[in-house]
Formats: sequence, structure tokens, C-alpha cells
Amino acid sequence: MHYINKLAYYLVIILIILSINFFLPRAMPGDPLAYVLGENPDMPIRMTEEEREMKLAEYGLDKPLPEQYVDYMIKLSKGDLGHSIYYKNPVMDEILIRLKWTLLLTGTATVIYMPLGIFLGAESAWARGKKKDTLSLITILTVSSFPSFVLGTLFVIFFAFKLGLFPLGCANTIGATYANPLEEALDILHHLILPVATLIIAHIGGTYLLMRNSMLSVIGADYILSARAKGLSERYILNRHAIRNALLPIVTMAALTIGFMTVGTIFVEKVFAYPGIGLLLYDSVLRRDYPLIQGIFLFISIFVVLANFIADMAYVWLDPRVSDE
Amino acid sequence: MILKISKLKTHFSTPDGLVRAVDTIDLSIRERETVGLIGETGCGKTVLGLTITRLLQSSTTVKGTIIYKETNLLKISETEMRRIRGDEIAMILQNPTTSLNPVMRVGEQIAEVIRLHQGLNKKDAAEKAIKMLGSVRIPSPSQRANEYPHEFSGGMKQRVMIAMGLACNPSLIIADEPTKGLDVTIKSQIIKLLKEVTKEKAMLLITHDLSVARALCDRIALMYAGELVECAPAGEIFDAPRHPYTRGFLGSLPRNGLVPIPGMSPSLINLPQGCRFHPRCANAKAICKRKHPGMTEIEDGHFVRCFDA
Amino acid sequence: MTGVKVNNVLGSLGLGILAILITVAIFAPQIAPYDPHDTYKWMERPSSEHLLGTNDVGNDILSEVIYGTRVSLFIAFTVSITAIIIGTALGLIAGYSSGVLGFLIMRIVDIFLTIPRMVLIIVLAAFLTQSIWNLIVIFIIFGWMMTARIVRSEVLTLRSQYYVDSAKMLGGSDRYIIWRHILPNVVPLVVVQFIMEASHVIIAEAGISFLGLGDPVARSWGTIFNYAFEYPNIILSDAWMWWMLPPGLCIAATVLGLTFVGYALEERLNPKLKTVVGMEA
Repeated sequence: MHYINKLAYYLVIILIILSINFFLPRAMPGDPLAYVLGENPDMPIRMTEEEREMKLAEYGLDKPLPEQYVDYMIKLSKGDLGHSIYYKNPVMDEILIRLKWTLLLTGTATVIYMPLGIFLGAESAWARGKKKDTLSLITILTVSSFPSFVLGTLFVIFFAFKLGLFPLGCANTIGATYANPLEEALDILHHLILPVATLIIAHIGGTYLLMRNSMLSVIGADYILSARAKGLSERYILNRHAIRNALLPIVTMAALTIGFMTVGTIFVEKVFAYPGIGLLLYDSVLRRDYPLIQGIFLFISIFVVLANFIADMAYVWLDPRVSDE
Repeated sequence: MILKISKLKTHFSTPDGLVRAVDTIDLSIRERETVGLIGETGCGKTVLGLTITRLLQSSTTVKGTIIYKETNLLKISETEMRRIRGDEIAMILQNPTTSLNPVMRVGEQIAEVIRLHQGLNKKDAAEKAIKMLGSVRIPSPSQRANEYPHEFSGGMKQRVMIAMGLACNPSLIIADEPTKGLDVTIKSQIIKLLKEVTKEKAMLLITHDLSVARALCDRIALMYAGELVECAPAGEIFDAPRHPYTRGFLGSLPRNGLVPIPGMSPSLINLPQGCRFHPRCANAKAICKRKHPGMTEIEDGHFVRCFDA
Repeated sequence: MTGVKVNNVLGSLGLGILAILITVAIFAPQIAPYDPHDTYKWMERPSSEHLLGTNDVGNDILSEVIYGTRVSLFIAFTVSITAIIIGTALGLIAGYSSGVLGFLIMRIVDIFLTIPRMVLIIVLAAFLTQSIWNLIVIFIIFGWMMTARIVRSEVLTLRSQYYVDSAKMLGGSDRYIIWRHILPNVVPLVVVQFIMEASHVIIAEAGISFLGLGDPVARSWGTIFNYAFEYPNIILSDAWMWWMLPPGLCIAATVLGLTFVGYALEERLNPKLKTVVGMEA
């Protein structure tokens, strides 16, 4: 029952996202045709009435709205997100070319910052009020108050430009030929370190604070006292009793932080000229390539919603109380 | 004598002032004896239990001595104390619903304490945990051991708590409100079970329920505002109570007509001058307001803290 | 005990930072040495005339940053105040009328919270004309949900407590109960939420502006940073030190100030984090 409810809920959300995407160009001020053609929507498009009608018919904008909506859904189901104005290619193709870089960037960052944030938060809460806790709390709050793009820019200036330890940007050396795959992997890794470090530092605060708060409420719980009454050691209680309970709220928030991370990538990719979906979105915004902007919006939103869905399922698995309802 | 508490004080400092939760208490428990510690909510009885097992925050001030067998529990290291906790002295905490870890299987919660203190391997400890569940009359224990606390009823959870406390065959059990929140039938079942399993053991039973104390205790100590006010064999407490508080407490029982003691118990931060009970006492005299009465032995083994006794 | 002391230090530090920034924002015309739109010789290094030099079109950077304080804080506070009022009102309604209306509001909150708002904001900003008013409206639309959720759950807790019931039994009207009993309890939570939202908006607005979607006339810190970032080879010269660093540090300082104040308030308001273990309830 629980699963079916959740599934229905997420399907509704995806439907809402698809509808927002459909109505965006049609509900915004200005000429919807301009959004498809990439003209400035505030300016009247210079074309004859005939040309205009032809264009409208070409994009199906002359049909009544419900019919347009059905057409849009049918196209989507075939993976057709329209054509990019700038690249003259299907939007889907352009996104898929860039996808691997974004996945590499966010994937690497997530694999590091989540466990790290959880670990630091748990340790901090367990040492509540002691120097160790206060120090890590203040450090993390301070570092987290820098937006990722400011942090990233400073990293580029110091570690890449001044110290020359890392490349200034991009995902690999442009025009390089590699002797073997290992060399290529090392080159990609070399380019990856700074953007990943930026993402981690900019996003670790949320997980850390959440884990710390969650852990603090667990520490006061009766079952922790109960575990102490058994004579168990503090380390054992932390590992076996406290962490799993404290992780429960983290799991629900994990999807949310993945959402933040996905958005954070946009800024980091701009700073490092890293050729992922985020940079594509930024370029498309500059070029007012509306079909591409919409395609990326759809892609990221559905990805984040799916992450939420997976987190919900994980919660059921972690908390025996929910699965029985 | 298995436990001898002398001049025990437990004080917390809070932003509102010093909380004198346990204030100069003397109490001893003999081998195989069940002593009831009775008092209203907030009088400090749970704190006394937690002081004995040293489960309070390190910022708490504890003074006096707690001699368990030959050892002063307040003098040994935390590591040594951990060896005693759960093994020699078991504490059965109140509220089984919150005291059991919601995301850990019940069997494992019992098995972990067995592994720790008896050095059994995983398989043997799990088997012993099932045996313990059976010994507290939980039906089909091998199946129930694999379930989570939320799958148990209130009474069954209390049985799990008792099994957990008994798992390492302790010599002293501190049971905190083991019948709280249970309906009458379940309550009498738990009392019966406790009576049976603690026959050979010493127990400190913390409760505000006189019927439970009557059924289980050899001796009873009444606690009021952080100190003991009367301590005597159970029969004498019920038949010839000497302290006005004890009489009031007995009078508030349903079968005695539910006459409540007037007034409220004082906060442990602002204790009244003189006798701590005088603001609520019907026979309070001038001296009661000025002088704090000491504990006097009025009959063999019957102690009262009252000028009038 | 030390926890309380650390809290007070952080709280005062945060308040101090915010007080300075708000003063700068209010008295920008008096404090700034020049009009940020006046042009002088471009790309000047810092001098006694232009303390932070000039930018690529010759605006005095110090004056630009000072006026930027106004823009950034104005957006952040306008958005959070409005969003908090909307959120509180909807939260009260949802918590107090447990019917279809309450259910509907909470479902909308759930849906809004699941959709990644920042991406949608970027897309909307790309479709709309670049102006601070459009940004403000977009941020408000996506800023009220958390408050609504928190207020609702607080109202539900309070409702189940006896004094609201007894007030009702004594014949208090719903409006009286909300004003007298519920609102005072909700206000502290809402204040924390206001601070959180303000710091979200500061970061989000800076991000949007960094993508070039800020108001080109009323330049916020994010917009200034973006113009500097887009200037060819900025990091190869020293200009980043007076052109990029000041707006970047201002953003971080504001967020830090808000975070400290919010953290100190939350610690003080959340008694759960302060219970003494082992005290009899």
C-alpha cells in the first residue's frame, strides 16, 4: 500500500513538471513562436503573415491548446525534447553528450561528501559542547557561507593559477593525444579535483548540520540510556545504536541535497568551464536557446524526483516501523 | 548486605539553579531482598537509580558512598563500572516503548549484552537470547526474537526489558516503574513474573504504585523531595505508617477513598525551610517550619523523619 | 554551560555583521563616494580616489559594492518577509482547518518541495525580463513552503494541548484563539524561518546573477561578481582582488551573519537539545 501511494504521488509530480514545461513558453509574456525560434520575445518578429502561419503550423502552435498538449506528451514519450536552436540538433542528443561529465562530477562529489558529512556530524554531536564539536561547527558554518562559485573562483586563482597545481578548467586537456587509457584517466582526474573539491566544500555543511542535529536528539533518547545500562562501550553504542537511528532523517534529506548538488553543479561547471549539463544550461540561457533550456529543466527535475523516490524507498528499508503500515 | 548507600547526594546545576535531586540518602539492600522506593513523580527516585548505576551526565555532582558488595561504585573507573553494568547490576528502565531501540531486532538487543559480558559467540548468544525470551513467558520466542519492538504489545515489551535485564544473571536489579502504563491484567502478570524471576536476587523497585510495592517488596522506603522520610518492613508501612506523608500516600489509594495529599510537591530547586513536607502537613507545628528533622529509628528497623513520630 | 556561551558569542557576532551591512544598505547614498553609474577612467587600480579601483566601464567599484548591498539585502528581506507571511497564513489555515483545504495546502507544499526549485527559478528567470521585481516575485513563489509546513505542525501540536481546548470551551472565537494562544507560540519558529529564508535568497540571488540573469541596472553583489568573472583574463591580472573579492566576501559575510544568528536562536528555542539526561519527566 505504502509503495503504491508513493508511486502515485511521484507520478503526479512528474506530470506536474511536464505540464509546467509545456506551459512555460505559452504562458510567458511575449510571442510563443519567438521562444521556439530563439528570437527576443519582447520584439515583434519580422515576417509576413503567411510566413508566420507556416512557422506556427510547423511547430504545431496553431492547434488548440489541448491538442498541443497531447502532441507534446506523445513526443516526450518518444524521447523527443525538440530541437536546439543553436546546435540545430535534437535536445536529447545534446544533453546525452554532456551527461557523462556531470555524472562524473556530481557522482564523485556525492560519494565523498555524504559519508564525510555524516561522519563529521556524528562525531561532532557525540562530542557535544566539547572543543572538537565547537571548532568543527564554526569552521563548517563559515566555509558553507561561501557560494560555490565564489569558492570555486578562489580555488582557480590560488591552486590553478598561482600555484599551478591544477589546470584552469575544462574536463580534459584540449587536443591531447593519450598514449594509453591510464594517461587519459589521470588527465581527467587532474581536471576533476578542483571542481569536485568545490562542490564538496560548498555542500558538506547541510549534511553535517543535519546529522549533528539528528544525532543530538538520538543521544537524549531512552534507548541510548538503555544501551549504556547494559555496560556497552560508547563507541559500540555510537556505531550500533545511535547512527542507524540518526540516519533516518538524513535519508529523506539525501534526495533534497542531491537536488542542491545538481543545481550547484551549474555554478561550478561555469567557473571551471566544465563541459557538463550545467555549463550547457548556462550557455543556453546566454543564447536564449529555449528548447534546450526546457529540455535541461525537464531532465534535471525528473532526475531529482527519481532521487526522492529512491530515498523514500530506502527509508522504508531502514525503518522497520514504516514497512508494516 | 549487597548494596549500602550512605550520605548520597546527587545535584545538577541548571540555568535555573541547583537541583537537589537526591539529598543525603542512606539506604541498604540485603541479599535476595526486594526494597521498594516509593514517591511521587519528580521526587528524585529515578535519579537515585541512575546514580547507583552511574548513568548520569558527567557534569552531575555526586557525593557520598555506594558500596556494592565490597566496592565503592563512586570510586572505580568508568571501564570497571561498565563491567558491572548489565552484568552484576541490571537496570530495567522505565518506558519500554522508548527504551528499546526501534531499529534493532529484539533478539539482538538481548544478545548483545550476553556477548559483551559472557563472551559468547554470535550464535550461542542469539540462542541464549531466545531462551531468555522464553523464560519471561513470551510465546514462540525464536520467531519473536527476529521481530522489531513496534511489533510487540506494551506488556510484551516490558517482558523484553525484564529479559534484557536478567540476561547476564545479575545479583542486583534496579527496576524503574516496571508496571507504568499497563492495564490491570497485564500489570498483575508482570508482577507475578517479577516475583518469580527475582526470587534469588536483590532488587530495588522504583515505583509510585503502592499495590505493586505491596505485592513485591520486603521493605519499603518512601522518598519525598529528594530525601527518605520513612523506611520500614513492608507490613509495618501498610499497617502502621508513622510519617504523615506515608499516611497521606496510603490515603490516596483508591480503596482508601482517594483522598489526595493537599498541595504540590516542592521543586527540587527551591526546597522549603525546616521539614520539607511541612507546607502540606496537616499536623505541622512551629518546630517543623524551623528545623529539619533527622531520620530516627523508632522501632527496630523502622526509620521515620518526623518530630511527631 | 559552554554551549550557551558559544551560542551567545556566535549570535552577537552574527548580529554585529548584519547591523553593519544593514546600515551600509540604508545609508548607501551617504556612504558611497560616487554614484555607481558615473564613469571614470576604466580598469584603474585602487588609489586614494577610487579605493577599490574602477571596473571595465569606469564605475567606482567601492560605490558599486555599497549600492549592491542595498540591492542584495532589499531582495533578500522583501522576499523573506513576504514569503514568511504567506507561509504562516497558509500554515495556520492548514493546521487549524483540518478539512479538504488543509489537505490541499499540504499537498501543494509537498509538491513544491519535491520539484528542484533552483532549476525552475533559473528557467523562469531566463524566460522573463531581467529585473529585480521579477526575481522577487519568483523567489516569493518558491519561498513559503517550509514555513507553512513548520507552522502547521506547530499548530497541530498546540491544538492537541489542553489550553487551546479550554479556551474554546470558555467560548473563545477561532480568531481570538489564533491571536492569543497560537500565534505567540508560532512567532519564534517563524523568526528562525525568516532568517533561513533570507540566507537562501542571498545565495540563490547571487547564483542567478552569476549566471547573468540579474538586473543589469540595479546591480547586486552577484551581478558585480559576474561582470568581473566575465572580464577576459581577470585572474591573470590582480584586478580580481578589488573587483571580485569584495562582492564575494560580502555575500559570504551576509550568509555567515544570518547563519550565526539563526543558529543561536534555534539552539535557544529548541529545548529538546538541552534536556538533562536522566531527569525525571
